[in-house]
Amino acid sequence: MRPIATVARYTALAWHLSAVSLHRLTEYRMDFVLGAGGLLLRVGGQLAVVGMVFRQVPVIAGWNFHQVLFLLGFSLLPRGVDRLFTDQLWIMARRLVQSGEFYRYLIRPVHPLFALLSERFLYPDGFGELITGAAITWYAADQLDLDPGIGDLLLLPLLVLCGALILAAIKTAFAALSFWTTNSFPALYAANQLGDFSGYPLDLYHPSLRWLLTWLLPYAFTAYAPASYLLFGRTDLLLWLPVVTAALVALALLVWHRGVDRYEMTGS
Amino acid sequence: MIVAEDLVKEFKVHRRRPGLIGSLGTLFSREHDIVRAVSGVSFRILPGVRAAYIGANGAGKSTTVKMLTGVMNPTSGRCTVAGLEPYRDRRRTAANIGVVFGQRSQLWWDLPVADSFRILRRIHDIPDPVYRRNMALYQELLDLDALGTTPVRQLSLGQRMRAEVAASLLHDPAAVFLDEPTVGLDLVLKEAVRELVNRVNAQLGTTVMLTSHDIGDITSICDQVLVVNHGAVVHQGTVHELLRAADTRAVVFEYQDGPDPHQAIALIEARLPGVTARQSECRRIIVDYPTGRLSARQVMAFLLEHFDLTDCVAPEPDLETVLRRIYTRRAEPREVPV
Repeated sequence: MRPIATVARYTALAWHLSAVSLHRLTEYRMDFVLGAGGLLLRVGGQLAVVGMVFRQVPVIAGWNFHQVLFLLGFSLLPRGVDRLFTDQLWIMARRLVQSGEFYRYLIRPVHPLFALLSERFLYPDGFGELITGAAITWYAADQLDLDPGIGDLLLLPLLVLCGALILAAIKTAFAALSFWTTNSFPALYAANQLGDFSGYPLDLYHPSLRWLLTWLLPYAFTAYAPASYLLFGRTDLLLWLPVVTAALVALALLVWHRGVDRYEMTGS
Repeated sequence: MIVAEDLVKEFKVHRRRPGLIGSLGTLFSREHDIVRAVSGVSFRILPGVRAAYIGANGAGKSTTVKMLTGVMNPTSGRCTVAGLEPYRDRRRTAANIGVVFGQRSQLWWDLPVADSFRILRRIHDIPDPVYRRNMALYQELLDLDALGTTPVRQLSLGQRMRAEVAASLLHDPAAVFLDEPTVGLDLVLKEAVRELVNRVNAQLGTTVMLTSHDIGDITSICDQVLVVNHGAVVHQGTVHELLRAADTRAVVFEYQDGPDPHQAIALIEARLPGVTARQSECRRIIVDYPTGRLSARQVMAFLLEHFDLTDCVAPEPDLETVLRRIYTRRAEPREVPV
């Protein structure tokens, strides 16, 4: 009974705080425009690279143009979901521990991580990524004449959710490093940059990088593993997805709690 | 309500060497010093008490408050607030306490104050009647509506502090920790904040723990004083007891005719052991005497005998003087266990 009540309470709170955040958007329209512009540039750049490559060769490592497009589009979906809910981690990595402001999440009667994240729920760039990602995925699936069964369609949101959880866990762990270093922005930034590799077929990369993206910073599970299943029916990686997600979330929470326990609020 | 037992907090401070080579060296060295910010503090604050926790800068006040509010773990020892160890049971503690760190905001910085309050109401599950009663009280005393729809980050320090104090009390906490709550406030607002804290204490029995360098905060809010020095509590009692514990008191007198002030001072200091005298105005002299060796009566008797007095008073020792003397004892080479 208690877990259900807890989930209900946090859901209601998240709902309320999301509404507040949406309300806040109207005050920061310029931010939104800049964010959307930046996103379009990035995705546009990625599309251009893919387009140019496939002008030269019809197939790369067994992937054709639309299959790579599908992967690229799909990779934006978990990113979008993650960004909608965890954007405050960037601010934490950069500033909140260093400036002593982090204390405020420890004096609220909710989980400190929830208190932190909820300050910036529904960050608008996330919507942009979701919409763009869905459009590209849809277009590629249409070109490929992909005809997923009802089971795969039901699986899809779950795949996106697991991917988002993996991204959120990596971000949480790296942001929590700031409990030790006071500023972990560079580390978080670097880890996040590696995530860009997940938009392309892993088969392109050197085995060491492939291994890194699969088992160390498992970005492969956010797009490559689900896309290879949906496109080619490959399940070798996909079967690991629940395990990897659970392990990574557990690890991130462990780092987080260790960090909170050693938190030293600076200044008077 | 608030109990501390042998509370200790130590910080590691990495040793830095000067110069470029030195900085590079510190990158790889694990050398550090241990700084003991709080060394074995014990005290007990009963429910409903308004206690001032005071000490010089660097005495470990804020660090203690951070442990009592669950923000930091103690190195050793323990403390409880309303029966819970705050750092072990943060969420339940948070429901019981309110916190203001005057230097750091707990409000949503890009939202108007009213929105922060609405969020806090949700987070704390504050019942409607309580929320309405408190908002009415804040409106009456702090004029919160005047803050309008300005985001917190654009408020002046005074405007923000009003909202911070109100936010800490919104959920009717059993205990409230106020760390420099009137910093940056003008006289009128200071009065308003003190009135608010006192009223909440009188009506709801809220326990108050206040740290402040503002003597006015202490005398107008607190009925108990804990003085901390060298990271340990050196005095706990009522304000009155602290004043009585003063080891120096003063007699002020004015006289006519007779010797000029310099001679008068020389005479007093020569004849009364341990006394210092200073001139305040032309023929008005302040005599500080050690309470252990003389009484006000003896000093006055001496003055009556030697001067033609036109005025003579033995003022209450004031808190500021007493505290200053306690703080400056730090300068004396006393053994500090580290």
